[in-house]
Parts: sequence; structure tokens; C-alpha cells
Amino acid sequence: MNPLAAASACHGCAHRGESLIQLGVVPGRWDYLVALAGNPNTGKSTVFNALTGLRQHTGNWPGKTVARAEGTFRHGGKAIKIVDLPGTYSLQAASTDEEVARDFLLFGRPDVTVVVIDATRLERNLNLALQVLEITDRVVVVLNLMDEARRHGIGVNTDALARELGVPVIPAAARQGTGIGALRDAILQVATGAARPQPHRLRRLPADVESPIAEVLPAVEAAYPDTLGKRWVALRLLNGDERVLRAVPSGELGAKIVEARWRLPGDFQDRLTGALYAEAERIARASEVTGLRRVRVDLDKHLDRLLTSRWTGFPLMVLLLAVVFWLTIAGANVPSSMLASLLLDDVHPVLKGFGAAVGMPWWMSGFLFDGMYLATAWVVSVMLPPMAIFFPLFTLLEDFGYLPRVAFNMDRMFQRVGAHGKQALTMCMGFGCNAAGVVATRVIDSPRERLVAIITNNFSLCNGRWPTQILIASIFLGTLVPAHLAGITAAGAVVAIALLGVFFMFAVSWGLTRSVLKGEATTFSLELPPYRPPRILQTLYTSLIDRTAIVLWRAVVFALPAGAAIWLISNVHLGGGASIAATLVSALDPVGVLIGLNGVILLAYVVAIPANEIVIPTILMLTVHTLRLAGLGAGDGVMFELDDSGAVRQLLVGAGWTTLTGINLMLFSLLHNPCSTTIYTIYKETGSARWTAVATLLPLALGVSVCFLVAQVWRLLF
Amino acid sequence: MSPLPDPAAALAIFGSLVLLAAILFWPERGIVPRLRRLVELSERVRLEDAVKHLFNSAAAGRTASVDSLAGAVGVSRDRTVEVARELTRLGLARLEGEVIALTEAGRAHALRVIRTHRIWERYLADRTGVGAAEWHALADRLEHKASADEVDRLAASMGDPVYDPHGDPIPTASGVLPPARGLPLSAVAAGASARVVHIEDEPGQVYRSLRAAGVNVGCLVRLDRVDPAGLHLLADGRPVVIDSLAALNLVVELVEEDDTEEGLERLDAIRPGEEAIVVRLGAQIHGAQRRRLLDLGIVPGTVVRAELSSLSGDPVAYRIRGAVIALRRAQADDIVVRRRPRKEAA
Repeated sequence: MNPLAAASACHGCAHRGESLIQLGVVPGRWDYLVALAGNPNTGKSTVFNALTGLRQHTGNWPGKTVARAEGTFRHGGKAIKIVDLPGTYSLQAASTDEEVARDFLLFGRPDVTVVVIDATRLERNLNLALQVLEITDRVVVVLNLMDEARRHGIGVNTDALARELGVPVIPAAARQGTGIGALRDAILQVATGAARPQPHRLRRLPADVESPIAEVLPAVEAAYPDTLGKRWVALRLLNGDERVLRAVPSGELGAKIVEARWRLPGDFQDRLTGALYAEAERIARASEVTGLRRVRVDLDKHLDRLLTSRWTGFPLMVLLLAVVFWLTIAGANVPSSMLASLLLDDVHPVLKGFGAAVGMPWWMSGFLFDGMYLATAWVVSVMLPPMAIFFPLFTLLEDFGYLPRVAFNMDRMFQRVGAHGKQALTMCMGFGCNAAGVVATRVIDSPRERLVAIITNNFSLCNGRWPTQILIASIFLGTLVPAHLAGITAAGAVVAIALLGVFFMFAVSWGLTRSVLKGEATTFSLELPPYRPPRILQTLYTSLIDRTAIVLWRAVVFALPAGAAIWLISNVHLGGGASIAATLVSALDPVGVLIGLNGVILLAYVVAIPANEIVIPTILMLTVHTLRLAGLGAGDGVMFELDDSGAVRQLLVGAGWTTLTGINLMLFSLLHNPCSTTIYTIYKETGSARWTAVATLLPLALGVSVCFLVAQVWRLLF
Repeated sequence: MSPLPDPAAALAIFGSLVLLAAILFWPERGIVPRLRRLVELSERVRLEDAVKHLFNSAAAGRTASVDSLAGAVGVSRDRTVEVARELTRLGLARLEGEVIALTEAGRAHALRVIRTHRIWERYLADRTGVGAAEWHALADRLEHKASADEVDRLAASMGDPVYDPHGDPIPTASGVLPPARGLPLSAVAAGASARVVHIEDEPGQVYRSLRAAGVNVGCLVRLDRVDPAGLHLLADGRPVVIDSLAALNLVVELVEEDDTEEGLERLDAIRPGEEAIVVRLGAQIHGAQRRRLLDLGIVPGTVVRAELSSLSGDPVAYRIRGAVIALRRAQADDIVVRRRPRKEAA
């Protein structure tokens, strides 16, 4: 059975079904399978969304951390399933993305392959298109971003391009929705065989590339007479493509390949790509329409100069970031307190009342409503509003095209410590949520730089930790200065901590790339896409929905058990009469005080691994619990907060907290292990228990050491 | 609650612990890594190193003696005689007086070890960020660790490479080694152009000095003249002088006379607003990095225009095949171009 046989020869056969299952596609309830390929930044996902509407679902490719989307649509009475391949520059399989795309096209053998091409970057995009045309002849090309091309005065003669490529070419502006109808028609025609494209094949390769192919081709033809794209197969074999080599058993063909490869010129890969580009250039020239007027006068260039120049670039970047943070903090205040009063002050008593009314035993009511519900409600009310503001703002900047310019500006600093400029972006995302920051590192395709970004992301002070920092700063530092300076001092202290986090990020990156990450692979490239007006309402809407869903999921999966644990340890009493919590606090106290904290803080951080937001309520509850203070709090195991920060101060100072405790708590909050969502995300993204352990334990070790050192120095001085 | 420990004492203890950890675990120089290396220097390692030396001597047309073997493996003469006896016992070599020669089985074994070594070097060059100066030494240590199956899998994952980063051919799994190609630079006439196909990795100092001068496998050299100062070359457009020992270690293949080696520059000399035509990617760019740059369109003949410099001067954004791509100066330094004069660019 020829695994490389053409789709037409193999439609519906069992072997193809097997490959499809391996590639994660469930065969069956659709008539035709379509693959969507294209360079990154061509508006491919917009085309995908336009075709499938809401009938899509996202996930990962089996066994890989590459995002994948698939959906269906109906047209002409047929059900068509469409799979969105990762954006790739080529099919030479130099990276996981390219491997995934190549494997799907080669072994999944879709009925139609749609290649999305950016009209403003025709030559570069044609490189991929030409490679796809070598593999399969059932191709439809979408010439997307026609509106942008018009804006830049670039014109493409669609008919000429279709003639050159030998396949249907559909001009489109997916954001506006134009061309999608024609695309659906074209897909159906090619799928049903109503249209039979005769794709352009590379024939005019230079002599030193042609002759090895000519040597090997007869053997390939003899072994696999019904394979489409024999020349392409020969090329892949000569290039030593592992998957293709495995699909083709050795024997005479194998020996011929080995021999031919000895004689390949050293720069065979260079020549091959050079030939592809020469062809792409010829085709682009043949299809260009000259003499069009630019509608927008070089706005892009002016904007770029402004945003990346020595004098204005950096201040504008800092300003923009400051605005985003300010909008997040200020904007989240009211919704957070509204949510808190709703979920905590209103719903909670109702639930307790319900429990009492149905005769629930006190422990069940406590476990369910005081433990699990409270923790979840807390996380949602603290996390949801800031995340719902921060991330949509970021997505807007990304859509606009500004974020790669940030990476462009910051790259030098990151280069010095062995990291990638895009780490500036993932670091900023980490200020919103560390788990999101870790997922964002997917934009860094160099493995080493990606690991550095993942491990150091925790040093970005995430949204969940801001309330802790602000509260402690105002209680312990704001009170050290005259009242009118209190606010400024507290704010300044929090900013200082955040900047300290950035410092540690650089320092730890440097340390990692000099030691444990020294041997990892490294590549760098950064594309600066043109600026595009963001679709504000659309982006805000989708981003909002995404973020809300994630926060709610996280609250349920991680915070719920944490709440249960907190309630349990405070209410379960061991033999001697003290609760587990009290026992643990006394046990941890010596270590805690040594490093300038105390047992309550350490225990709170242990149980609050799932969520940083519940650290302060847990600390307050544990303090009241261990000191057996009457009249404060709402009972054992019930987290609470005090509205008046003066009351909080009174409580903590009464429990023995000093300024040192406050400072070290701020430091520890910055430098401790990541929250469990982040740990879980890191494991999913790296697939390695070893690196997850490093990412978890490294900040913790750093936090303990720094607190220890500060405590000793403080005690020496005061 | 027990009284707090004296802070000064606590700091002192902490400091000593950190110092102890450094002494024990410092990469390369710490006690634990050194112990690990000592353990690795086991019997198998000695045997394999011996077999490799014997093979290389035979290939160079030299006979190996107990003394030369002792030098190569790095042990005393007495130990070397023991090693030679062990080899004879295993059927890998024959000891005739002072001369040691490999048997057929020994030759096959040597080829396997060499294959492993060179595959590791290829892996280090293409898949990791390890510097060129360390490939050989690291591969020397790694070659003793992998089984034949593991090596075959590693080779397959890289597309069964045929040459290592020094240009040496990699024996196939069945032990086939193609004939060596090229001639040493010392045998090339002045005025000739050639492509470097191989650089001897030992002596290490010569190898490192050649690399530091910018001479790598794959780069194009033109021999301008030879005088007492040494051999004057243009390596990928850059003038370089090397001594005769280095010329012996540099193996090249003659290419057609091409006087377009004149006037070459590197991409990082092209400032915003200026244009250049790509001549080729430099030979120091390996593996995934090279493929990515090629796929972005940086192939011979491409017109590149420097558009924008970042606020620190590095990276610089270039317009390549319609798209704007930012490259670091270190990368741009490795791309050989020819400047396009201003009036053409207009």
C-alpha cells in the first residue's frame, strides 16, 4: 500500500482513515476534508472564521503544543470539514509547526488544500504556495488582504496569477467578508471534481539541483508508479526528510538515495530554496499591476519611525504600558467590589440560609459554602474584572501590529542575557496572568529562548498579587511616613517591587542561559507586519468571552479544592485538641521567623498555591484562628476581609507582625513558586516534568534566600 | 519560642553553604562534575579511543606504535600495552612487536565509533546552541554513551546527514565511508578560487584560529598570494592571512574562477535607506537557523533594503521579498551581500 498515493486514488480508503485518526481528525460525518495553509500573518484565521462561523472548536495537535482549530460548513448540500494548519513559512519541516503542516498535507491527504496568500507580500507567500503545488493538485489559492494592497498601491492581476499557478485564485478581503462566497464555490468545485486544476510545477530548476533529482526519479517511479508529486518526493528523500524516508521502505530505492546524497553539493538546500524564490519572483512580476496610486501616504513608515526611534520609542512604550496598567487597576475597582459584595455579602448568606433550611449538618454547610464556595467566589471577584480589561487591551495592541515593535525595541536588552525580544511581550502578559504569559511564549519558536521566557515569567507580578502588595504596602510602609505622603509611598513601593521582579527576570535569564540552558538550540527571526486598524468591538467581545471562560474554569478547578482544604485544616482537630492548621502554624513558625515571616504566612502560601488572590483572606482567618480571637472573622476556616485597612493593621500588629514582616511578605509574594494553574500550564507547554520542577522550585528557592538575607541584614541594622 | 539565631552567624552559615555548593557543583570545574568525568573514563572509553586512533593512523598512512597509542589515549605505556593486549584478545587488533594494526572487525568497530562521534557533532551544530569550539570535545565524551540504535535514531531525526560540521564524511550504519574529497589549501595555486570542504579538528588551536578568522566549512576562499607572512586569502569577501600549518589543515575543492568575490560586504554594513543584493548566507549559520533565513527569502539574488533601526541600533529591520523582517546584528554579520549603488536603488 503506497502511503503517498494521491488523494484521488485513495479517497475513503481504510489506510487514509488511519492516518487521519493519528492526525487527530475524526473521519465520518463530513463529505470533504479541506486543509487551510498559509504564512503567518496573512489573515488565515479570519478566513477560517469567515468560513466556519461559530461552528468550530480549538485544541492542540495530538502530542504537540501547537494550537489547532477545525470547523465545518455546509455548501451546495455537502458537509465540508476544514482544518486550520499552523502558519508556516515553508514545508521543509524545520520547526514543529512546519512538521505538523507537512504531515497533514502528506499523510492526511485532504480533498482540497486552500492556501491563503497575502497580496502585499506576494513573493514570500508564493514560496509556500509553490511547495504545496508540488504535493497536490487540488488547490485553491485565496489572495487575501486585497483591501490593504489597495491602500499601499499594490495591484495584483488575479487572472494572470491564476494562469501562472494553474489553480483557481480567489481575491478576498476576509475582514470585510468579500470573496468568501466565491471561495466556498471554488472549494466545492475542486472537491467534487467539477474543476480540475493543472498546477504549475517547478521545471526550470538549475542543473545542479536537477541532476540529483533525475538520478533518483526513475527509482521512485519504479517503486511508486501512482504517486502524485514524484519530483517532490524525490526532493524530500534527497533532503533526508525523516517522515518521507520512513514512508518509503529501503531496498534499491534506499541505496540509490544514499549514493545520490553523497554527491549533493554542500549548499543543496540553498539552491533549492533559491530556485523556488526565483520562480516566485517571476510569477509575482508576471501578475503585478503597476501604476496604482497609494491611497494612504506612508502612514506606516511615519508610525514606525515614531515608535522605534531613539527619542520617542521608549517613552511612548512606557507611556502605553502605564496607560494599560492604570486602566486595568482603575477600571477593575468598581466591578470587583460589586462582584465581591454580590457573591460574598449577598449570595453567601443565602447559601448558608439554604443549608440551615434543609437541615444540613454544620460541617457540610461549612465545607461546601464556607470553604469551597468562598474561595471560588473570592478568586472570581478579584480576578475577573482586571483580566477582562487587561487582556482585551493587549489583544487590541496585538491586532494593531504594535507588539512586534515592542519586541523589536527591547531585543537588545534580552539578547544580552541570552533571551529573545519577544520575552518582553510574554513578560507583559505575565503582569496580567502568569499562566497566560506562559501560553504566550508560543510566539517564541526558538526552544531555548522559549524555556527561558517560561521559567522567568513568574517574576512578573500578576494581577492576583497586586491586592496583596497594595494592602501590605499601605499598612506597613504608608504608615511610616506623614499621612499626606502615605498614598504615594505605598504606590511607589509596589512599583519598586514590580521593577525588582523585572530585574530578577533579567538576572535569572542570564543565569539560566549560562548554565542549565546552555546547550539548547537557538534561532531568531522577528517579522514586523504592517499596521492594521484593529476591529475594536469584535476583539473586545471575543477576548472578553475567552477571558471570562478561563477565569471561571480556573476558579472551579483550582480554587475550589483550595477552599475545601482551608476549611478542613481549620476545623479538623487532631488528638491533642488543636486543629491541623494550628499545629502546622506552630511547626512552621521557627522557619518562618528565621526568614523574617511567620508560620501563618507560610501555611497560607502552602494552601494558597492554587490562587494568589486568597492569600490575604487566608492569612487573616488563620491569624484569628490561631490567636483564638473572639469577635473577629466569621468562624474557623472562613476566610474574610476587613474593609478598613486600619483594622487589618491592628489585627496583624497585635499578632506580632513588624515592618520587616511586611517587607518580606511583599518580597515573598513576588518571588515564591508559581500558582498551580501556572504550574499546570508550564507542564502542558513544555511537556517536561524536569523543567516544570525547575520553574516551580527556582523562584521559591530565590524567595526563601532573599527573605532570609533581608531578615538577617535588617536584624543586624536595627 | 526559642530565641532567634544571631543574624551575623546566620549570614555566615548561609554564605558557607553557598560557597560549598559552588565548589561542589560548579559546571565543568566543580568537584562533582570532575568526579563524573573520571568515572566516564572507563575501560570501554579507553578501548574505543584506541580503536579510533588506530583507524585514523591507517587512513593517514601512518603505522601506529605503542608509543603513539599511549599519546593518543592519554595513559602510561604500561597501561597502553594492556589495552593493546585486550584489543588483540577481542579480535579487534594485532600486536606485532611495537606495531599495532587493526583487523577487519576492528575497522568496522572504528567506523561505528567514528559514525557516532560525527553524528553527535552534527547534532551539536544543528540542534543546539553549543559553540563550534566545543563540538569536538563534547562529541568525544558523548560518543561513548549512545548505543548503535540510539545513534541511528538520532541520525534519522536529522535527515541522515552525510557530512559533519567539519566536513568529514559520516559512515553509514552499515559502515560505508565515501572517499575523502578535496585537497589541502597548501596545494592550491595563487589566484585560484575554492570552497572549504573540511577543516581538521586537531590540533585544536589551529582549528580555533581558523574559525576565529572567519574561515568555516562551506565558505568560498580565493588565494591571492603567498609570501613570508603567510597565505593571503579572501574568505567570503573578507581578507585573511593564515600560516602554512593552517593551510595544511584546510581542505578545499576548486571551483570555477569567479572574480565576483570582489566588493563583498556583510549585511550589517547596510544602513537604513540603503540596498544590497544577497550573495549567500555565511557558512557559520547552521541547521534550523539557516533554513529559517532561507525560507524567509534570504537567498542569492534577493534584493534587501534596510528599513528601520531599533532604538538601540540592534536589531535592524530589512525589507525582504515584500515583508519586513528584523535581524540581529550578529546574524546580519553572517550574511554576505553586495551593496547596490544609490542611483540604482532610486
